[in-house]
Amino acid sequence: MGTENQGYPNFPARPPPPSSSSPFASAPPPGVPPQSGGFRPLSQPTRPFTPSGPPMAPPVGSMRPVQSPFVSQIPGSRPPPPPAYGGPPGGVGGGSFQRFPAPPPPPFPGAQNPPPSGPPATQTLAGHLSPFRPQQPMGPPPQTSGRPGGYASPPGPGFQQSSYSGVGGGPQPSFPGYPSNQVLQAPPPMPFQSSSQGPPSTYPPQTGGFPQHPGQQNLHPSYGPPTSNVQGLAEDFNSLSLSNIPGSLEPGLDPSSFPRPLDGDVVPKSFSEMYPMNCHSRYLRLTTSAIPSSQSLASRWHLPLGAVVCPLAEAPEGEEVPLVDFGSSGIIRCRRCRTYVNPYVEFTDSGRKWRCNICSLLNDVPGEYFSHLDATGRRMDMDQRPELTKGSVDFIAPTEYMVRPPVPPTYFFLIDVSFSATKSGMLEVAAQTIKSCLDNLPGYPRTQIGFITYDSTLHFYNLKSSLSQPQMMVVSDLDDIFIPLPDDLLVNLSESRSVVEAFLDSLPLMFQDNVNVESAFGPALRAAYMVMNQLGGKLLILQNSLPSLGAGRLKLRGDDPRVYGTDKEYALRVAEDNFYKQMAADCTKFQIGINVYAFSDKYTDIASLGTLAKYTGGQVYYYPGFQSSIHGDKLRHELARDLTRETAWESVMRIRCGKGIRSSSYHGNFMLRSTDLLALPAVDCDKAYAVQLALEETLLSTQTVYFQVALLYTASCGERRIRVHTAIAPVVTDLGEMYRQADTGAIVSVYARLAIEKTLSSKLDDARNVIQQKIVKALREYRNLHSVQHRLGSRLIYPESLKFLPLYGLAICKSTPLHGGPADASLDERCAAGFTMMALPVKKLLKLLYPSLYRVDEWLLKASVDHDDVKDVLRRLPLAAESLDSRGLYIYDDGFRLVLWFGRMLSPDIAKNLLGADFAAELSKVTLEEQENGISKKLMRLIKKVRENDPSYHPMCLLVRQGEQPREGFLLLRNLIEDQMGGSTGYVDWMLQLHRQVQQNA
Amino acid sequence: MGDLLDWIISFLFLVTLLIIVIYQLTCLADLEADHINPYDSSTKINRVILPEFGLQGLLCVYYVLTGHWFMAILSLPHLFYNIRLYMKKEHLADVTEMHNTNKGEQKKRLYKIAHIALCTFITSYWLIHSALGDI
Repeated sequence: MGTENQGYPNFPARPPPPSSSSPFASAPPPGVPPQSGGFRPLSQPTRPFTPSGPPMAPPVGSMRPVQSPFVSQIPGSRPPPPPAYGGPPGGVGGGSFQRFPAPPPPPFPGAQNPPPSGPPATQTLAGHLSPFRPQQPMGPPPQTSGRPGGYASPPGPGFQQSSYSGVGGGPQPSFPGYPSNQVLQAPPPMPFQSSSQGPPSTYPPQTGGFPQHPGQQNLHPSYGPPTSNVQGLAEDFNSLSLSNIPGSLEPGLDPSSFPRPLDGDVVPKSFSEMYPMNCHSRYLRLTTSAIPSSQSLASRWHLPLGAVVCPLAEAPEGEEVPLVDFGSSGIIRCRRCRTYVNPYVEFTDSGRKWRCNICSLLNDVPGEYFSHLDATGRRMDMDQRPELTKGSVDFIAPTEYMVRPPVPPTYFFLIDVSFSATKSGMLEVAAQTIKSCLDNLPGYPRTQIGFITYDSTLHFYNLKSSLSQPQMMVVSDLDDIFIPLPDDLLVNLSESRSVVEAFLDSLPLMFQDNVNVESAFGPALRAAYMVMNQLGGKLLILQNSLPSLGAGRLKLRGDDPRVYGTDKEYALRVAEDNFYKQMAADCTKFQIGINVYAFSDKYTDIASLGTLAKYTGGQVYYYPGFQSSIHGDKLRHELARDLTRETAWESVMRIRCGKGIRSSSYHGNFMLRSTDLLALPAVDCDKAYAVQLALEETLLSTQTVYFQVALLYTASCGERRIRVHTAIAPVVTDLGEMYRQADTGAIVSVYARLAIEKTLSSKLDDARNVIQQKIVKALREYRNLHSVQHRLGSRLIYPESLKFLPLYGLAICKSTPLHGGPADASLDERCAAGFTMMALPVKKLLKLLYPSLYRVDEWLLKASVDHDDVKDVLRRLPLAAESLDSRGLYIYDDGFRLVLWFGRMLSPDIAKNLLGADFAAELSKVTLEEQENGISKKLMRLIKKVRENDPSYHPMCLLVRQGEQPREGFLLLRNLIEDQMGGSTGYVDWMLQLHRQVQQNA
Repeated sequence: MGDLLDWIISFLFLVTLLIIVIYQLTCLADLEADHINPYDSSTKINRVILPEFGLQGLLCVYYVLTGHWFMAILSLPHLFYNIRLYMKKEHLADVTEMHNTNKGEQKKRLYKIAHIALCTFITSYWLIHSALGDI
């Protein structure tokens, strides 16, 4: 990477620190490790008092002895570097003490760690440092770990960075803004000073430490040769050289050095380690774990301030959310702000009172809940109370939390049986799947089920348990819908089991000769609504063609390419008929959640149909050109998942924030019932919601801010419950700290949702520009933050925490809802992808944005090892055409489909083994089936594993051979987001663009 | 005398309009303060929107018919704005997005109120003027 090597020559160029350093040069007594000596003072919070220049040095020097013992402790706190250190100097409360206990200090192991991970780097560097080299037989890679200076090395860059950042952070409270940075100009040279005096060993630790940084191990080897990160020791950021390296003829751009999220989504750990009682990041992820203390600071942080909430995320075994029953005492909540009791409340007055952590009101502890406090003020029964120790709990809600008795889980199917539905085989697959799921529907024995089918007329089915065969009733008056039978259309599944099964068996047969091509969707929806509005529940719509009759009929719009590029373009992406919005609103009101399955190969106006799912908290499944032979498995799996996953019924969600912060907007599939109450008729583990936060007060007075997500729902078993997730985040006064604590995944998730919403009111181009501008602004602010103290030259700098942000930004611009123009994706595909992405949890979204690409042929030929976990055996490759070798076999996996790419020169043996006899045939007609040989079995096992890893969607396996156009381009090449395709930019150009814009008015 | 009647009638028109728009504004404000849910709020607002538009159109026609060109021209922008909303089918409150669009909708109605108030002010001036002139 051009990371820093260009900066290296900068050292001499740095202003020699004449005055401030001299006291230093003399200061380090031999005993003090020069390294820490050189470094430590930087972290001293004393800076604010010293204006700059000479007078400041002595106090610093005098302080150092105090500081150095501190240093020796620090190496232990290496793993979560930034917060660990950023905390105290910044004067940030909260974090400073918690971090100490966290990681046990293993100073020496730590020192040995770096070498294995980054030998090449150190080698090169060592060249510079040979005189100081291995004075200790410390193991092969010549680390300086043995030197006194080496002692300080284990902390790695994070540590160094943060210690440095301490400088940036410390003074800021008193001198917000750049001036403080200028004040700081004197300190930076100090490390160099000390190193010139003694060990340049300052450098190796940096490099050695570099690979330790989370997320940088196991990277593609071409990524980030740490070599060049020399200057990084003093810098708080990563950088890329985007111009020619002086003195070299070759262009300095090395695309392979650009950061890539090849490890997938890495959740910043520091946060959860700092606050172990927070809920897990799978439930709540803040875009930055450091909340700005003032509005002005928040506005300088140009990234979104918000969170992504996935209230029902699936927990791995052993980490299930505990269920708490308060019994007669009722749920303990704050009287004023209605916060639920959580690990962060304080018990006082010998246990008789508790202080709400959000509004700090003193509440009484009910008699039944009383417990004595021990000497430290902890409740004696703390360990038996999960709600006081865990960030996530389920409370059993008493009757006050019910408007009506909890409803049974209800599944209602609205099935299109017109010509295309039967011809494509959809009807048969759907009927079989529903039948096979009857045993696993949640909520036995209370589950309710019902069906309506429709073509140009509506068909109702009497499923009364006393019947042996279902009775069909046909209603053909579409203008004045009535329900022919008030009761027996929605029946208890366990009672009417045999009738339901008989119905599902006969359903495909009944309509197999249907030649009706009309679709009275609107009236059917209305009828379903009338049947369901007593109970609410889940409505599954299987729609095969454009609604053509009755209310809500839709036109063929969107086949007019002239509309694209004009100001009216967006109108194609929003519901055409107000009928849909109104129906969606009504359904939400009566607790009906709608999932839309669309199968047509022609235009079906997903934009309108999807509106139903959007406002009822559902999702859209789209199978363009459904053929049961190809898409059958996918539909089977996804419908089954939809029917059998644990679902929360008639729920509402509210996010409470501490004083001074409020939620300003919500993004996702739901409807707002009041300003901060999300109505979610049916919610499950595959749905996530984004919220943006705003500061209400100009200045936050508290040191920490709390967030509490509460989801009130009816569990399938019929119990009313409240799921509560609580998290705490420190308030900081330093912009740098906010950047350090940023969570790329959450930011990208919020951005993707904002961009998709933007496409509903403006052109695609505008939506893409918005994303680009937002990233540019954020990077520019970051650059401004550092440009004063560092010579940045023509480097693009970004915080370690946000190193993948530009790439993900590019990926958002190239994602299906946003990329290209009218020709690049059909309108329906775009809209369906948009609705899907609005609901995806962070991890899933990141995988879709930057899918994984593996080369598998070598692995397949290797002798089989049984324990093959995808991550262990296969290496993710950058998504660029360069990664593809025509002799290889590759798997591309974005979580929604698996594309198997057969290189042109792939050994025919492999192809033959995998595909059987028809290996030479047109691959679009071949399906992958297990063959009787080891290679095929191995591959199928791998695919199975990939599918099991994430059951929320069923990735369909598609085969494509190199050069098979246009399929190849469509399936794979278009998705190689780092490449330049058609009019879109590649990764390199994108970075250059960003960089150019960042530098303008920088 | 005829002039006075014209002014009285148009004054009544304007006051009714003012009341309708203020009513919509209160619905939106109630929604913001959580005193009402979006369903009720949107029904209440949508019920009076077409009457409001119709009334405003009638008023314009009335000004033209009675030859008060200045007032007619003054109310034209309002009329065009209403027609444009109607053509784009954006005149009705969208129940699903009530909370997100609330701020903007309130602002729109404030402008409307300002415009109507201005008209009312001028009209009442002429009303008094012509009433006194008749004596």
